[in-house]
Amino acid sequence: MKLLKSEFLKLVYQRRTYGLLLAAMAIDVLATAATPYVLSKSKLGIEMSLSTPTAVDAIYAKSLGGYLFVVIVGVFLMSSEFAHHTAIATFLATPKRIRALGAKLIVAAMFGAVFNLVASAVGLASGAIALSAYNIKVAPDSYIWVDYPASAMLTGAVLAVIGVAIGTLIRNQNLAVSLTMVWLFLVDRLIAFIFPDWGKWLPTGLITSLSDLHIKVGGANSPITIDTSSFLDPWPAAGMLLVYGIVFSMAAVLTTLRRDID
Amino acid sequence: MSTIEFKGLVKKYRDVTAVDDLWAEAKPGRITGFLGPNGAGKSTALRCLLGLANPTSGESLIGGRPYSGIAHPLQEVGAVLDSSGFNGSLTARQNLKIICAASGIDYKRINEVLELVELGNVKGKRTKGFSLGMRQRLSLAVALLGDPQVMVLDEPANGLDPLGIVWLRKFLRDLADQGRTILVSSHQLAEMQHTVDDVIIINHGKLVVKGTIAEVTKGKSLEEAFMNLVVGA
Ligand SMILES: Nc1ncnc2c1ncn2[C@@H]1O[C@H](COP(=O)(O)OP(=O)(O)OP(=O)(O)O)[C@@H](O)[C@H]1O
Ligand SMILES: [Mg+2]
Repeated sequence: MKLLKSEFLKLVYQRRTYGLLLAAMAIDVLATAATPYVLSKSKLGIEMSLSTPTAVDAIYAKSLGGYLFVVIVGVFLMSSEFAHHTAIATFLATPKRIRALGAKLIVAAMFGAVFNLVASAVGLASGAIALSAYNIKVAPDSYIWVDYPASAMLTGAVLAVIGVAIGTLIRNQNLAVSLTMVWLFLVDRLIAFIFPDWGKWLPTGLITSLSDLHIKVGGANSPITIDTSSFLDPWPAAGMLLVYGIVFSMAAVLTTLRRDID
Repeated sequence: MSTIEFKGLVKKYRDVTAVDDLWAEAKPGRITGFLGPNGAGKSTALRCLLGLANPTSGESLIGGRPYSGIAHPLQEVGAVLDSSGFNGSLTARQNLKIICAASGIDYKRINEVLELVELGNVKGKRTKGFSLGMRQRLSLAVALLGDPQVMVLDEPANGLDPLGIVWLRKFLRDLADQGRTILVSSHQLAEMQHTVDDVIIINHGKLVVKGTIAEVTKGKSLEEAFMNLVVGA
């Protein structure tokens, strides 16, 4: 309990945490608000009738994008300990390193879940407003009101844990943050774009799978293709995300137990 | 009771042996100076003592236990390390709260230790703007949080002005007089002569000499004695 409180204070005292939360909310709001517009523009070649439940679900699914910032919260929670050399105080207070790291992972998971839930709730609200602005009366599948917040919490928890793990593996703070961004924004998406069969197993693909949208729009002649028809179902995707979280946590524990702290 | 013991401690890095079979101890009620030139292995030995670096072989104990075996370490051992730091975007008080929370120390203690190190007036300031000397005092405040019986201090005089150094000397003396074990590393020999009761001198990771200050200096200054022993007469 003591350790959980200490790790929690590290997050709430850090102003950056609130900046990242605002950024997560902003990206969710922008994505849900802009998607109806994008889908309604046939020029992009991904025209989809907005008046179908799937299209409406797809708009609400854009509220799940906050994980990009959750992972950064996790990276900073760990890497700032090395950047500011507070890792020394942390491990002097708790020399059994597995306990200190365990507390950090637990707090990251809980905080990440709530963080992403808040961001996605704002995103869902913005989606509802955008749809009413487009005067769309079609209701989404009612399960999304439970499933999407639950998905947001799961992805928030797992991505925050992955972030902490990255922070232990790459002790240089700037490098850790930049590599994480490049990976999630670029590499993951590029792989998913070029090799869709692999992409669905990567975090971005799995998070998309959680929204349970099997969509295929666009095609050979259009500049943009969205094809999630072969993506996993939500439950296996959730399980696979958990596996990522566990593997990354184990890597974090193994490196932290072995290496010297300085 | 709270004796610090190095028992055949060895720490090798890839191409240097930073600490080479060190046998030494620091006793309660005394200030023990841990001396040696730059790169002698002082910080490395202290980091092994505090469980931050894994020794290659041998062990170092506090009150008969390795640091990692102490149930409430901050309440038993206070440490100032040369490489330790603070989160600059947090205030002094917030930095200390995080440490108190982790070790179950009452937040009341924060104001007490900040007064002790004469930082009471800047406790709400972010540590980013702290001078080297202020940081050093803040590190000392952290070491004092748990009111420990043992203090391990790596170059605590670094960054302190002459007044601060006099203050530190008196401070350490008071702590030792209360029966605490004080192990303090330094390369500032002239200063240490007036501060310490016992000395441990190492060079290239190896023990050169240990004993009371009188035994080691034999009437000469510590600086002279050190030069004779380390550089070779
Ligand atoms: N993390 C490390 N990796 C490799 N070598 C190291 C590491 N830390 C210390 N060393 C080496 O170990 C030796 C002892 O260094 P240490 O910092 O313990 O010396 P010191 O006595 O504290 O010196 P100073 O008075 O300058 O603080 C040096 O040769 C140093 O280069
Ligand atoms: Mg040193």
